[in-house]
Amino acid sequence: MSGRDEELIDLIAEEALIDKAKLDPSAKLEDIGLDSVDLVSVIFAIEEKYGIEIAEDAFDRSDTLGVVIGKIEALIDAKAA
Amino acid sequence: MIEPIVVTGVGCVSALGLTADECWAAARDGQTGIRVTEFDTGPNGPGARSYPAGMVRGDATAALEAALGRRIGGSLDPFAIFALKAAHEALSQAGLSSQRLGDRAACVMGNGIGGLATLEKAYERLFGLKATKVHPLTIPRVMVSAPVSSVAMEFGITGPVFTTSSACASAAHAVAQGAALIAGGLADVAVVGGSEAMATPGGMRSWEGLQAMSETACRPFSKDRDGMVIGEGAAAIVLERASRAEARGARVLARYLGAGMSSDAFHWTQPTLEGPISAMRQACEAAGILEADEILISAHGTGTPLNDKNEAAAIRGLFGARAAAHPVIATKSAHGHVIGATAAVQAILTIKALEARVAPPILGYLGPDEECGGLALVVGERRPIKATSALVNAFAFGGLNCSLAFGA
Repeated sequence: MSGRDEELIDLIAEEALIDKAKLDPSAKLEDIGLDSVDLVSVIFAIEEKYGIEIAEDAFDRSDTLGVVIGKIEALIDAKAA
Repeated sequence: MIEPIVVTGVGCVSALGLTADECWAAARDGQTGIRVTEFDTGPNGPGARSYPAGMVRGDATAALEAALGRRIGGSLDPFAIFALKAAHEALSQAGLSSQRLGDRAACVMGNGIGGLATLEKAYERLFGLKATKVHPLTIPRVMVSAPVSSVAMEFGITGPVFTTSSACASAAHAVAQGAALIAGGLADVAVVGGSEAMATPGGMRSWEGLQAMSETACRPFSKDRDGMVIGEGAAAIVLERASRAEARGARVLARYLGAGMSSDAFHWTQPTLEGPISAMRQACEAAGILEADEILISAHGTGTPLNDKNEAAAIRGLFGARAAAHPVIATKSAHGHVIGATAAVQAILTIKALEARVAPPILGYLGPDEECGGLALVVGERRPIKATSALVNAFAFGGLNCSLAFGA
């Protein structure tokens, strides 16, 4: 994982109050205990930190953490480009 | 006859400490939790201003996380964190914190204004920073029922759960309502009390605007008193049907004896004499203590010129020549005015005082005020008491009154 991936995982763990050890990139959001309320908090925190806009339907709870992080990375890169 | 109701647990978070025992020890020993504190509106407001305030002493979030064994972080507004911490302590003392309490349990807590820190943060984003979004959990964090929902979820309380809001009388109404749920057969045990965290930059400016705040100290019933001091915190009391408490061998800390309620229907900030007298009389009659030799009275005692003068007259009006037999305490002088939690904080200190047979001193007293005469004010230092029953007064802005009666 890149440094930024780590940073995102830390942020998700902090916002959703989930043990970082449970945040396996191959796990689905719903399987790591991230409910819909946690998800909106996580999206808000990421938008704040990176100055990006994440669409409401950008991802859902059946996505894996790895897929979600990939989409966020793409948004951050697009902003920087 | 209504089945007796007893107190089997208490928990408190205030400027005096993070547990009921810490709060009681400080109040008993005449220590104040009030400090001059800076409140900064930030660059989009007028800036910093300092006031005496009763801010919670210590890290309530860390204490709660240690108690629950999990992270809380910034997921709740302080007023819900305080409530959860106090409820955990009270239920632990009652021996009920490690089980789902179910549908025969209730939770009723008072609150005056909701999660003001969260609301201010959201408004700063919108009006100051011109941000388009606020935190998505702003509403559930701000709503006045957040504390009781938090407590219900944490302890599996699936019976009646709601918040009472009557400004400075909120927690007194909550205690009375919790008892009424037990008396009315809707619950066997109730977590009652109140929480408040409105000592924020905007909250303090708002109180300042009302010209009700002291610039120095809360000096209940004293000459030259000049207003109230805002505090924050929470208090929780476990009320339980006496037969249930006895059956499970719970230790009884006090008896809940009754309540009285009234509304002045008169003015936002000026009290009537009749309203407070009526509330105290009803509570005394329900408790059967109107003629008691000595009643410990935990006064509303805000330290404002008008409240204390009126409350003194109300106590004299109810008890007549016997008013001077009843020791009067005013613990807001130590923990500040905790608004929607204040009656519950005072109730716990009163229960502790009855248990210890010691009345904690009124702080900041500069000498007698004729208009507050005829009362047995406990000033200077703590005093031994003989009282086995007590009144806790809460007389709120908007003319909403509630008095509670407890027995040793």
